[in-house]
Amino acid sequence: MNLIQHPELLDKLAASYALGTLRSGARRRFETLAREQAPVRAAALIWQARIGSVAELQTQILPEPVVWTRIDNLVRADLERQAMRDAQAVSAPPSPGGWFRNLFVWRGAAAAGVAAAVMAMVVGVDQRTQLSTQIASLQTQLQSAPQIKYVAVLADGKADPSMLVTFDATNNKLLLQRVGGYQEASDKSLQLWALPPSGGPRSLGVLGTDKLLRLTAGEGDVHAVPTLAITLEPKGGVPIGSGPTGPVLFKGALIQKML
Amino acid sequence: MSPSTPAYSLNPDTELMELLDRVANRDASALKALYEQTSSKLYGLAVRVVGNREWAEDVLQEAFMTIWRAAGDYRATLSPPMAWLGLIVRSRGLDFLRRRTADRSGVTQELDEVMAETLEGDSPNPMDTTNASQQAWALHQCMARLENRQREVVSLAYLRDLSHGELAEQLKLPLGTVKTWIRRGLEQLRTCMARFA
Repeated sequence: MNLIQHPELLDKLAASYALGTLRSGARRRFETLAREQAPVRAAALIWQARIGSVAELQTQILPEPVVWTRIDNLVRADLERQAMRDAQAVSAPPSPGGWFRNLFVWRGAAAAGVAAAVMAMVVGVDQRTQLSTQIASLQTQLQSAPQIKYVAVLADGKADPSMLVTFDATNNKLLLQRVGGYQEASDKSLQLWALPPSGGPRSLGVLGTDKLLRLTAGEGDVHAVPTLAITLEPKGGVPIGSGPTGPVLFKGALIQKML
Repeated sequence: MSPSTPAYSLNPDTELMELLDRVANRDASALKALYEQTSSKLYGLAVRVVGNREWAEDVLQEAFMTIWRAAGDYRATLSPPMAWLGLIVRSRGLDFLRRRTADRSGVTQELDEVMAETLEGDSPNPMDTTNASQQAWALHQCMARLENRQREVVSLAYLRDLSHGELAEQLKLPLGTVKTWIRRGLEQLRTCMARFA
């Protein structure tokens, strides 16, 4: 039947279609006609708009304030994720002037600046999949920071980065940055170890609870050391001279900067 | 900052559209302003769709996250802003009900605050025209001519996407009664709305 020649029937069907009470076979036939004939489609759209206004006429109810708090948290998290992606996109391609600029920046900000930049890259992103690109990008950046001669990203058994270690040869400092959420119990301490190719682990120091930690170390302590590890030890660490007693929590290769 | 001159308050559409443009540019303060202006309206709608205030909070949250992500698509719909926002809340609400039905098949009786009120029958349910578009004003005038229960049944059929049978079951009314109310209600609306075309 040609609905267009029966405007009143078309109007009735379009109204029931929009309300949703036109069901099953009748609904499918109407939809087919609407796809084929623009005036039928137009009638459906007009009635969808009219009936849709029901949604605008409902009684107002003030929602609990917590609803906005939840929305606001999700929006903030979304914006942070975006800022993180933007930061990565900017830091990825090294521009011709990048080396000089980096040198300038690194000289001024020294190791703390490196840690902050690395922090920005590592925290909050999908850490597992992006770990290797982060390390590569990290190495690139570190090559333009003359003070930093070694870097390690220590990860747990699931490859989630948990600790960033850099060695500043100028100041003989090991800089440790916690990047995961791990927090040891109050009666325990984390201890950093060098694992040389031969001989037992050598303690490089015991970590405090701060996010950013500095340990004094000479270049001899880290030179030719392929791996660093962190173990969970009794509060204050194990006595000097003895080896680790607790489990290895984080572990990673120590990478020497190539320049 | 959007100026709050009298011209804006006279035309809520313009103000809401400017807010939506800013939300499309990921301006979180614009989303907050939009929320302050529309959340009572949209929450009232969500409660009507899902029939429960706690569920409606989830629906409102999901709707605003959809608005946050999809505000850039708004202009192309050519809809009045409140109509577009209402459409989002209704579809998030219907999604919620479908998920719930899928999760809890077999559990049929839930306390439904809206249905309970509707069953009381003659309690007047004045429609609210705050922020309503011109198109909604027209519908409001035509709906106002319907008998209370008839208006409720027509509204619920749309808001909850219910068939005659489902309406009869949920409202505990004979199927024939529901069909008659809907048919007569739609017929009156058709005649009335034709004058606004």
